[in-house]
Amino acid sequence: MRKLSGILLPIGMAAVLAVAACGSDSGSGTGDAASPSAGAGGSKLMVIITPSPDNVFFKAEQDAAAAQAKKLGYETLVLSHDDDPTKQSQEIDTAISRKAAAIILDNAGADSSVAAIQRAKDAGIPTFLIDREINKTGVAVAQIVSNNAQGAGLGGQEFAKLMGGKGEYAELTGKATDTNAGVRSQGYHGVLDQYPDLKMVAQQSANWDQAEALTKTQTILQAHPNIKGIIAGNDTMALGAYAAVQAAGKKIIVVGFDGSPDVVSSILKDGIKATVLQPASQISEMAVDQADAYIKSGKASQPEKQSVDCVLVNPDNAKSVTDFAVAGS
Amino acid sequence: MTDTTVAPPAPAPAEAPPGNQALAKAALLLLRGRTLVVLVVLVAFFSAISPEYLTQSNLILMTKHVAINAILAIGVTFVILTGGIDLSVGSIAGLASMVSGGLLFTGLALPGGTVFFSVAVVILIGIVVGALVGAVNGLLVTRFKVAPFIATLGMLYVARGVAQLRSDGGTFPDLAGTPERGNQGFHVIGVDSLLGIPVAVWIMAAVAAAAIVVTTRTPFGRRVYAVGGNERAAVLSGIRVNRVKIAVYVISGACAALAGLLLTSELGAAYPDTATTYELNAIAAAVLGGTALAGGRGTIIGTVMGAFVIGFLSDGLVLVGVSTFWQSVVKGAVIVFAVITEQAQQRLQSGLAKRTA
Repeated sequence: MRKLSGILLPIGMAAVLAVAACGSDSGSGTGDAASPSAGAGGSKLMVIITPSPDNVFFKAEQDAAAAQAKKLGYETLVLSHDDDPTKQSQEIDTAISRKAAAIILDNAGADSSVAAIQRAKDAGIPTFLIDREINKTGVAVAQIVSNNAQGAGLGGQEFAKLMGGKGEYAELTGKATDTNAGVRSQGYHGVLDQYPDLKMVAQQSANWDQAEALTKTQTILQAHPNIKGIIAGNDTMALGAYAAVQAAGKKIIVVGFDGSPDVVSSILKDGIKATVLQPASQISEMAVDQADAYIKSGKASQPEKQSVDCVLVNPDNAKSVTDFAVAGS
Repeated sequence: MTDTTVAPPAPAPAEAPPGNQALAKAALLLLRGRTLVVLVVLVAFFSAISPEYLTQSNLILMTKHVAINAILAIGVTFVILTGGIDLSVGSIAGLASMVSGGLLFTGLALPGGTVFFSVAVVILIGIVVGALVGAVNGLLVTRFKVAPFIATLGMLYVARGVAQLRSDGGTFPDLAGTPERGNQGFHVIGVDSLLGIPVAVWIMAAVAAAAIVVTTRTPFGRRVYAVGGNERAAVLSGIRVNRVKIAVYVISGACAALAGLLLTSELGAAYPDTATTYELNAIAAAVLGGTALAGGRGTIIGTVMGAFVIGFLSDGLVLVGVSTFWQSVVKGAVIVFAVITEQAQQRLQSGLAKRTA
């Protein structure tokens, strides 16, 4: 008896699995056979994965994507990977097991995200990247990013203008594993290095973090008391740097990148001098719209690599900026 | 023999045999001296490289940076002395930051309308929250017999999660307060100075002084060492071990909350990731300062020195422009090296103790 059940049980389970597999096969077979989203089986779930909403930029990104998806009739699952590729990989697995219709992803690493996105693709789930690119094409359906190089060029020009083309400055860079950290830094230097009298006396990574930017700026100011300006790779670091500048009672030009509401209000109060606005909400909405079109038609409506231009925010236009968008631009 | 295992090296209790006492003192001097030697070497090294390192303003600034980790580490030291560990201090600091930041920025929504508290009350609430979370840790460890590592690891996640829930992940960007709300002045503890020394440093000095008095001059302090040195002996000698344990977690939680508030005040903004992974820096400071993770051995002064070593090292590396990656490598190497020398000294110490016994 025991022996028999020992044989029958695995057979039975295999049979159940086979039926289940057939079921899902035939289910998708009724749809468009060529549709890459067939595996999703008519799911109405859109999974949105971003870095920690701790940074208002990602919060805006999440909110805009979720709102747009709901508007188009999707359920949403909003997750945060906290810039940890392992956590991101697990979240993509969640999306696969929940048979999501599409994934909207602001990824955790240009290289370390590729495998997970490929896994989703193999499972028939299209991924739409926002804000950050990955180092491979043909894996995600779309990579919609703000033009960081162009934006950093704008920021660099404004910074050079504010500095009057000369003097010592420091740079706070983002997390080194994030492509944007490098792209922005290169963008800044593409402009700043053309001024022979602009001298970078310190360059430190503050890992996109406000508190780290604060302490590192304080220490940098100790080493280089004549610093006239600080250019930061994002707004949270600019805020941290500005807190240090204020605490030191100095007049130092601080320029950020992102266009976050906190920095915009600081600009209006003559604190931080300028930032570069990334159209975060617009990018999220574009990604959701394209995901929707893809789910319905089975093909991409736009080329994979898309970039949206950034806008410089300074005291002249800061008033018209709300939630990562400049009115009338 | 029981004296040497149960009693702390500092202060050598009066009833210890004079020979042992002298040895314990000599060993203690060595233990303390080691951290001091490292600190002196660090300062000499960085001063040689950068003329800005050994200036008054930089020393004050570095001490201010040390203050936050030192306060966290002092709290953790109490827990480690009893043979426990507190991994939740970074998260408690973040939680206190979000609770207080929220009270300042959005107030407390009550059915009758939104209430704003004065800064002093807000700070007090933040610290009480930290102490309460610490009490929960203590109860988990004593009443529910959860291993301290697990209990506080759980709390690391829970407290961080609650901090994120407080604002739905967002940041409270402006903690300056307004006159009509009567909640201005939060910057005093983190930004302002008194007699040329940052208030945060004064607070660290006060916390350290109080902790030194408590550990070396009070019955409670002796019980803390006794519980960590030999818990069974402590129980048998009538010490209410559970009470002592709960108390140390409460102290640790309150210190963590205070550190979180100082950090938040300095930043002028509260965000839920405040002080992430700071627990490791705090534990590292305690261990660098000669606190044994097994419990029963260590001093507050040692911990404070340990915090100075870590802080002066990190700031020095930034000052001379070393890349972030090397900063991480050097910091880790120094911590491990410190523990190796600590082990060597332990062997030396126990060898000496055996010879005299």
